[in-house]
Amino acid sequence: MPAIRNQIRELRAAREMTQQELADRVGVTRQTVIAMELDKYSPSLETAFKVAIELGVPIEQCFQYDPKGRR
Amino acid sequence: MPSLSYREKTLYASLVAEILVYGPYFFLHQKNSVNKVAGMIIAIIVLQVVLQLIIAAFTRNRTTDERDRLIELRGYRAGYLMVASLMVIGLAMLWFHTTMGQLHLDNPKIGLHFLSVFFGMLVIADITKTATQIVSYRRTL
Repeated sequence: MPAIRNQIRELRAAREMTQQELADRVGVTRQTVIAMELDKYSPSLETAFKVAIELGVPIEQCFQYDPKGRR
Repeated sequence: MPSLSYREKTLYASLVAEILVYGPYFFLHQKNSVNKVAGMIIAIIVLQVVLQLIIAAFTRNRTTDERDRLIELRGYRAGYLMVASLMVIGLAMLWFHTTMGQLHLDNPKIGLHFLSVFFGMLVIADITKTATQIVSYRRTL
């Protein structure tokens, strides 16, 4: 399990938002959104906050930290 | 497999350009000269510009973000480590050949030989940098 997990895919799907739309709003590429959803990339704190704001949830509902997870 | 970002496309283009230009120089002939090195530098610049222009023309979204910058830094770190390692190996070989009396510094082509070796180190480091960046896009960061 990765150290930082997220619920971006689920939250985005619930809002019927495409990866490209979220990427444009946050200011990253669609490939970065894909990498985040696949837990292949842990974003910076600033980007994590932006994602949470765009999805309309508190950051802890969008991102979770597991100290025993792999980095 | 997700589609390639603008940055990834430019990296693949760079790798192709590097292999197309540097490959023949290092593997098809051994008679290197200052003119060939200069020609190669011009060739790689022209080829890179042409390929980047083509990619830019066919890519709508050309934004880069923090992940691109992180991967770029990883590539430069790998390239630096490669060139530093090759420098150490090169100096060790230079010392070895000098102490063994196999290096003739009065040879008129010694400067060209050093230029070729030094240029080769830079080329290997550049390819390492590009390849590292391409691999990093497919790996977990």
